[in-house]
Parts: sequence; C-alpha cells; structure tokens
Amino acid sequence: MTASVEQRVDRIKEIVCDILELEHDEVTDTGLFKEDYGADSLLSIEILSSLEKEFGVVIDQAEMSRMVNMEGVVEVVTEAIDRK
Amino acid sequence: MTSSVAGGPRSIRDDDVVVTGIGVISSIGTGVAEFAAGLRAGRSGVSPITAFDTSGFDHANGCEVTDFDPGPWVRTLDPASLGRAAQFSVSAARMAVEDAGIEAAELAAKRMLVSIGTTDGESSDLDRVVAADLAGGSDAVDPVVAGRTSASRLSVAVARELGLVDVETMTIATACAAGNYTIGYGYDAVRSGEVDMVLCGGADALCRKTFASFYRLGTIAPDVCRPFDADRQGILTGEGAGVLVLERWGDARKRGARVYARILGYGLNCDATHQVAPDQDSVARCMALALENAGVKPDEVDLISAHGTGTRANDLTESSAIREVYGGKPPRTISIKSMLGHAMGAASALGAIACALAIHRGFIPPTINHRRTDPELGIDCVPNTALDVAPAIVQNNGLAFGGNNAVVILGRHEEENP
Repeated sequence: MTASVEQRVDRIKEIVCDILELEHDEVTDTGLFKEDYGADSLLSIEILSSLEKEFGVVIDQAEMSRMVNMEGVVEVVTEAIDRK
Repeated sequence: MTSSVAGGPRSIRDDDVVVTGIGVISSIGTGVAEFAAGLRAGRSGVSPITAFDTSGFDHANGCEVTDFDPGPWVRTLDPASLGRAAQFSVSAARMAVEDAGIEAAELAAKRMLVSIGTTDGESSDLDRVVAADLAGGSDAVDPVVAGRTSASRLSVAVARELGLVDVETMTIATACAAGNYTIGYGYDAVRSGEVDMVLCGGADALCRKTFASFYRLGTIAPDVCRPFDADRQGILTGEGAGVLVLERWGDARKRGARVYARILGYGLNCDATHQVAPDQDSVARCMALALENAGVKPDEVDLISAHGTGTRANDLTESSAIREVYGGKPPRTISIKSMLGHAMGAASALGAIACALAIHRGFIPPTINHRRTDPELGIDCVPNTALDVAPAIVQNNGLAFGGNNAVVILGRHEEENP
C-alpha cells in the first residue's frame, strides 16, 4: 500500500467513524455498518455524500449495496477515483 | 375525536360536518372546475422545474404551478408581503369562500377556525435569505423576504385577508400528512360547536431545499411519477394549495349551501419509528382508527385515495397496510400524485378535495403514467383512465415523515334520508 492510498483509507475511516459516531478502533474492515454498528439508510446516504464531497467523485446510489462495511466503501471510492 | 354515532354515518344530523366550499391551486388546474376536469382527464402536471436553479442535478422535473396569479384573490393584503406558499393559502381560501357562496360581512360575523397544513412553510424564501447572506452578508438580505418566512403566516394571512376577527389561526406542520390533520382538527372544532365555520387545508411552494433532500435520498423520479407500477422510480416534488370550507349540516341547510360531501371522521397517529420510513402496522392502525371514528366498516368503502408517493417503500408499506385492514380484496386504490406530484403539506388537502369531487361528481380519478402494476401490491389502481363510477364512501390517506399518519373518511351527502 503506498502512502497516499493509506492516507486515503484513513480519511475514509475518519469520515465513516464521524458519521456513525464510533471510535477509530471500534470499526473493523469487515464489520457491517447496519448489523454491527446500528447504522440506517439515512446514515448510509450521509456516508456516500460525504465521500463524494471529500474526494470530488460521483458515486452511483446503486453502489450502496456494496458500501456495507469499510472494505466495500474503500473499494467503491477507489473505483470512483480511478474513473475520474 | 368522537366515537361513531348510533345508526351509522348515513343518518344525517344537524351537527354532521359537510364540505360546502373548495379552493384549489394545482399544477393540473386552478379552481374547482379546472381541477375536477384535470382529475377526470388524468392530466399531468409535470414540467422542468423553473422555481430555482437546477444546475448540478442530472434530472429536475417537478409539478409546478406555472400560471399562478395572486392578483384576483389577494385583494386586501399586498401580495409582495406574502411568500409564495402564503399567496397560495390566501388565494385558495378566498376561492373556497367564494365557492361556498358566503359574503364577506357574513363571514366576519362567524366564529372561525383557519387551519393550514404545510411541510416547508416559506422555505423557498429561506433559501433566498441564506443565498443572499452567503453572497453578501446579512446586509444583503431583503427585509421583506426575511419578514415573510414564518410558517404561522400561512393561516394568519388568510384571516387578515378575509377580515376575520373572531378567529383561531393554526398552521399545522406535520409534513406530508398536514392537510389531513387540519381537516381532522377542523372537523372536531366545528362539530363540537366551538366554531361556526372552518377554512382548512394545506399549502406548499416548490423549494430547492426539499428537492435537493429528496434527490439526495435517491427518491426523485427522472421523468414522471408512477405509483404502484413495477417500474416506479420515485416521487416528483410539487406545489399548490387546497382549502375546504367545513360547517355543520344544520347551518349549511339554513343558508341553502351546496354540499360536496360529508366528513365522516378521521384518524391520527404518530409512531415516531423512523425519520423517513413508514411503518406498516402503524399505518394500518391509523386507517382502522379513522374507519372506527367514522362508523364505517371496511367493506363499505368504495375508494382509497392513497398517499401513493411513487417510491417502492411507500407502495409496499401502504398497500400491505391496506390489505391488513381490508383483507384480500381492498377497494380501488388510486394515487393523484401521479398527476400532481407530491405537493407536500398541500398533498392530503388536495387528496381530500379530489375525494369530495369524486363523490359529488360521480367519477374515480385514475393513476396515470401507469404501465404494469407491481404484482406484489395486490391492488387495482385504476390505471390511466378515469371511471364513471360514483363512490359513496372514500378514504383519503396522508402518511408523513416521522411516522405522522392522518386518514380522513368522506361520504356522499344524501339529504333525502331521514
């Protein structure tokens, strides 16, 4: 992992933790936002729109089905940045 | 709420509540005649939004009132002193009073209630205030626009315009069910004898804030609103106002008023389960409450005017709740939002007016833009073409964010009965 990619993952995690109101070490790569952390659809949309703003990308709402945990979110954001 | 009276809803009493006047401003027609013609023809109110800058949105259709002129209706007040939503509420109220055939002096002598429901109040003015403040600081904010923004003005302005003196004014802000809330409130006030006459309904104007929020939620349809369709893609935001004149049958008879329909009862509840997702059990309970209050059995209802926003969540929840209350074969269930979009706080008032006109004129408005009914729903939504069928008892649903539900039951007024 290069430094910039690592920074990006850290920033994504910061945004997710901020919205889900969780500490950094509470959120794992595979922990599910909804089932494990009690997120609902509105918070998921907030995560999506915050990421769009932060990284200047457009994320299709259909991608929300993949953005269920940190791993999925990082994947979707990375693809969106690569498409830019 | 009162419990049902002995003998059921069809035995007429002097304190029964009747609708004797209607005022409508909508994207498919202004005034009773045009609105009724629009409903019968299945007119579509859709056009590209011009009320605000839509750049940045991939699609921005809405149901805007494109030909509105407050001039003929707002006579006492300066129209510029009112935001667009208050211009709507005042104009629809004036229209309703004239439709009811009441002179100004007669009206001023009555004990009145004015109750207007809304989702956004004057949010389009708030959009303007914020934009000006961001661009040029607070000095750049137009004090006239800032002075228009209070939602209470939607009902206060009606009283001022009509010169009402013995009046309670109440703006009810229970979002997209607000119109039905005001009808319920008005029904109690006039039936109990607390007031002589009620002007109730709802008003909302298109605003960027609400459009952007629904857009962000992924619920704005790219082209048109198709409730109950297997390929529905969401709502369209709309605007307008609907105001009803309610009075006791005894008073209406004495002054020889024309009666559109009777308000048989209503039900309200709030489950507060979720900010935006409707709750099926709670919606079903609200319908059952309304039917019980009206003294009506489910199999007596001929038509349901659904909340019918055009989202999958609403379609599934509302139709399941209807089947929960009505069993396997529910009455025809239409959505006038297919024509009008979602006029927010005005929506259920426009719905109640559509129900009253369906009863009075003997037709069932269609659900337009329809291609294929979602087989999961198990309802007949009267696709695309109105029916020449005269409903006697109609249920009007209003389901709002926060789990605020309000259901009104209307019935045919038959004077020849004992």
